[in-house]
Amino acid sequence: MLADAFAAERFRLLRDRGALFWGVVFAPAAGLVLSIGGELFARRLMKGAPVIPVDLVGRMVKALAGGASPITGLFVLILAAAVLAGDYRWETWRLLTPRNGRANLLLAKLATAGVAVAASLLLYALLAAVGGLFSAATSGSPFTAYHGEALSDLAGAFAISWLQLMVLVALAAVVGVVTRSTMGALVVGLVFAFAQSIVASQLREPTWKALAIPAFSGDLLKTALLMPHSVTDDPVPWAAALAVLLAWAIGLSAAALALFQRQDLTRE
Amino acid sequence: MSFALEAEGLTKTYGAVRALDDLSLKIPAGGVFGVLGPNGAGKSTLFRIAMGLVRPSSGVARLSGAPAGHASSLRRVGAMIETPRYPPYLTARDALKMLALESGARDVDIDGWLDRVGLTHAADRKTSTFSVGMKQRLGLAAVFFTRPSLAILDEPTSGMDPAGIQEIRELIRRLAAEEGVTIILASHQLDEVRRVCDRVAILSKGKLVAEGPVETLTGQKPALRLVAAPVAQVLELLGDQGRADGPDAVLATIERHEAPALIRALVGAGVDIHEARWREADLESAYLDILQAKEPADAR
Repeated sequence: MLADAFAAERFRLLRDRGALFWGVVFAPAAGLVLSIGGELFARRLMKGAPVIPVDLVGRMVKALAGGASPITGLFVLILAAAVLAGDYRWETWRLLTPRNGRANLLLAKLATAGVAVAASLLLYALLAAVGGLFSAATSGSPFTAYHGEALSDLAGAFAISWLQLMVLVALAAVVGVVTRSTMGALVVGLVFAFAQSIVASQLREPTWKALAIPAFSGDLLKTALLMPHSVTDDPVPWAAALAVLLAWAIGLSAAALALFQRQDLTRE
Repeated sequence: MSFALEAEGLTKTYGAVRALDDLSLKIPAGGVFGVLGPNGAGKSTLFRIAMGLVRPSSGVARLSGAPAGHASSLRRVGAMIETPRYPPYLTARDALKMLALESGARDVDIDGWLDRVGLTHAADRKTSTFSVGMKQRLGLAAVFFTRPSLAILDEPTSGMDPAGIQEIRELIRRLAAEEGVTIILASHQLDEVRRVCDRVAILSKGKLVAEGPVETLTGQKPALRLVAAPVAQVLELLGDQGRADGPDAVLATIERHEAPALIRALVGAGVDIHEARWREADLESAYLDILQAKEPADAR
């Protein structure tokens, strides 16, 4: 059953401290350290500068919105490669496949990676708030209210970034199955993450070609959500952008599933 | 008769290599069945097809009547295909717990099974630090702990030292007897197969070349070799069941349970018995003869 496979994968990931550290904890923690270090450094350089009020919710929304950058994608890919292609590396498919259906095994891995990605994003938001509290406590900055719909912005930024990262996870699944290699899943995913980010940054108009790039669609959705007045007067094709992200994530997952179900596990 | 594993016209090709070549084989349920063959004979491929790891190019395989590899057929099957491997970050206890979760087995006595395979002392050690023998023993626990009706063991003693082989052999025999499981065992250790298995199939180049009870394949039953005097008196007492084996010995083709009564009878008749030892059927010679007989046939 899928629930059994999911429980097993969850249990297994919780024991894989390396994948958990690099894939879930490291990037948010490094973000916090850099934020605090940067702030202390800037304060030292600019003594007497006016105190900037701390917007805790704003910091959390910003952290969530930035949670799908290529750099954070790298760490998600480390986790995805470990979860989705680890059984090729360790030659442990022969231990698992006779105990559950192949579709269940791969879906459970995708779901487990999805939960881990969500946990990592939540950690980003939480540590961004911790950074804000540190800033307020050490500089005496006052708190200020968030100018916007806090709940919907938090949820929206979280959902869009999660979906963008799940495109990378699904890509890692396809490449992991095809190459039977964790390194293959990581490298191809990383190249894709950086390439789409660079291409998306060069594009302005939301044409179909531009929307087909997940990074462009994701950024467009986030801009429309968080800075609705900064985009053009034309209506934002948010439904199309959302459909593109979903199509990438679901399409790649389905491809991974189809390939895995037909694959001969001769060595693993 | 019900069959644990059935193969009908099973063929598997990897590019130009034909790992299984129209293999048809029926392995009856109950007892311990050995699958023998040189490297590349197709044993592992047969097992991988049975467990759904590999898809056949043509033909059908069934486990207990259900299509091989299908979830319904795998539910009551445990398998150890080649040397078991585990995610290196898992301890022995965690590995079994993960496999229990994967199988949907809720009431598994993990510590009890670790004890049965002699790994209690290493329960919290990472499997990456395990020797081959320890991995094999953990693999056996993983095969049997969900109480399957069929266990497939592919080279369960490969890469082990003689003491480890002896230990695993005893363990398999004990688990088969205690759990009442049908066991299909592939091994290069012919002595192991002879001691453990009731029936044997011999594969060569993906084809079945011989199949039957060990005694039938070897062409001889185990015999009690008696060094006794006078030999003539022993032969007279044994009748058709006895034949001379050198000037001072007799081979008695009897069942094991008949041995004490025979020895009592011989001693009662005034025969001096200097030695009584079971001579086992020679599977190795039979195996090599069958394979050699197959080679010229293939060459033709």
